[in-house]
Amino acid sequence: MITSGIEEKTFVLNLGPQHPSTHGVLRVLLEMDGEYIVAAEPVIGYGHRAHEHMAENRNYHQFLPNMGRVDYLHALAFNQGYCMAVEKLLGITVPERAEYIRVITNELNRLTSHLLWFGAYLMDLGAFTPFLYCFDDREHILDLLDRITGSRLTYCFFRFGGVPADLDEDFIFGCRAFIKRLRSRWVDYHNLVTKNVIFIHRTKDVGVFTKEQCLLYGITGPNLRGSGIPYDIRKSEPYSAYPEFDFEIPIGENGDIYDRYIVRLREMEQSCRIIEQALDKLPNGPIMAEKVPKRIKPPVGEVYQAVETARGEFGIYIVSQGDVKPYRIKLRVPSFANLSLMVESFKDNLVADVVAILGSIDVVIPEIDR
Amino acid sequence: MLIDSIPKALAPLNLEKVAPGEYAQTGCHLEVAATPEQMPGVAQAMLKEGCFLESLTAVDTSKAAFTLVYHFANFHELCRTVVHASLPKEAEAPTISHVYPGADWYEREVYDLFGIKFAGHPNLKRLLLPEDADFHPLLKEFPAEAETKAEPEK
Repeated sequence: MITSGIEEKTFVLNLGPQHPSTHGVLRVLLEMDGEYIVAAEPVIGYGHRAHEHMAENRNYHQFLPNMGRVDYLHALAFNQGYCMAVEKLLGITVPERAEYIRVITNELNRLTSHLLWFGAYLMDLGAFTPFLYCFDDREHILDLLDRITGSRLTYCFFRFGGVPADLDEDFIFGCRAFIKRLRSRWVDYHNLVTKNVIFIHRTKDVGVFTKEQCLLYGITGPNLRGSGIPYDIRKSEPYSAYPEFDFEIPIGENGDIYDRYIVRLREMEQSCRIIEQALDKLPNGPIMAEKVPKRIKPPVGEVYQAVETARGEFGIYIVSQGDVKPYRIKLRVPSFANLSLMVESFKDNLVADVVAILGSIDVVIPEIDR
Repeated sequence: MLIDSIPKALAPLNLEKVAPGEYAQTGCHLEVAATPEQMPGVAQAMLKEGCFLESLTAVDTSKAAFTLVYHFANFHELCRTVVHASLPKEAEAPTISHVYPGADWYEREVYDLFGIKFAGHPNLKRLLLPEDADFHPLLKEFPAEAETKAEPEK
């Protein structure tokens, strides 16, 4: 009997922690059989800043700025989740105009997050031009938000009971002009990328998330909707002013990278619709609730509040023991669950697809590390 | 309706408490109290009802015990279930990662930050902190500030 003389062996390939496509400090150990991946093990925690520990050692107001630094790409959703949870504990009702302002700024922030993903992801795949297009668009939103919130990235804009600054005429005018401009750009985006044969071949039927996997791992956000489950907290557990707007939840069919891409692009169109309706219907009135105590001291109790961020469900769980400091705050972040499933979907894929899959689930590593 | 079918599915487990919650105040439709030993059974019942594991965490409740907190939700119907399980310190809790593979990382995180061991977990090691760390920062006895302060410059 003749043997080949070659032993079958696997080897370990190290990806990261300093790698341009990991979008943060993520290290993945890939066990390879030739060009195919047998197993993958991520190493996380490089950016652990102990946000949950900080929460227990400062009062409710002092923890507000932390929320802009968990997921820096969609900071306002985290602001909102935290404020809503504390408002629930205190029993504060937010005025209607403030809710509208929250929705408008939040959706603008979602657009920046999706636009950044769009550009950065295509750059991962080797297309440089879309990056220039979407950063051009994103810059307009950052200018608008800067005008209202005072910062460009790590927003700390919402307060318990409302918002500290009102929208002015220039913002509303600029916002409308921007949406008009963005709508005219979809054609370019689709011509440049969606119809691109190379892009389609790299993304169709790659990195598939099945519905069952999504259930077992608790996947949320565009990654889940790409697999065909229309679960969006803005619709399924309506909060803030979202029930008053008419918008759709785009879903995919196969759960592959292409579907997740299409879902995000169509979600941007829906965000534009929400902003437009909110500007049309913007009610007059106060932007802060009356009688918000200066010293926040919620009664004994616990609360769980979920909001939809650009990456999925952000849940915040607060335990109060009637003190000025929270007793425990748990941040349930979407990328945490998404990344743990991604490792599964690496298996039996080519190493060349790793970057395509990793980018497609849109992880923000500081959000996972907290 | 899940709010009716979940209590029915949990009934054979003889849990300490299965009651409707104050959704407007707590964000949860059902409140359940169980022992940690019952959790694999609870997880299996929740999975059969089509719910996903939303979050798994712990609270350092007192000097004698932790509370494990599990949140379950559903993709198709709004119904959040919270399960509290009191765990004496130094005791081990059984894992639910064989039911929900997604619980693997959550349990590793709880082990990392609280030092709670999950019996039967396939890969229980630190997740966020360095592997050689010898502390669990979310314990209430863990100091909030560094013990030694930097000397002011002269």
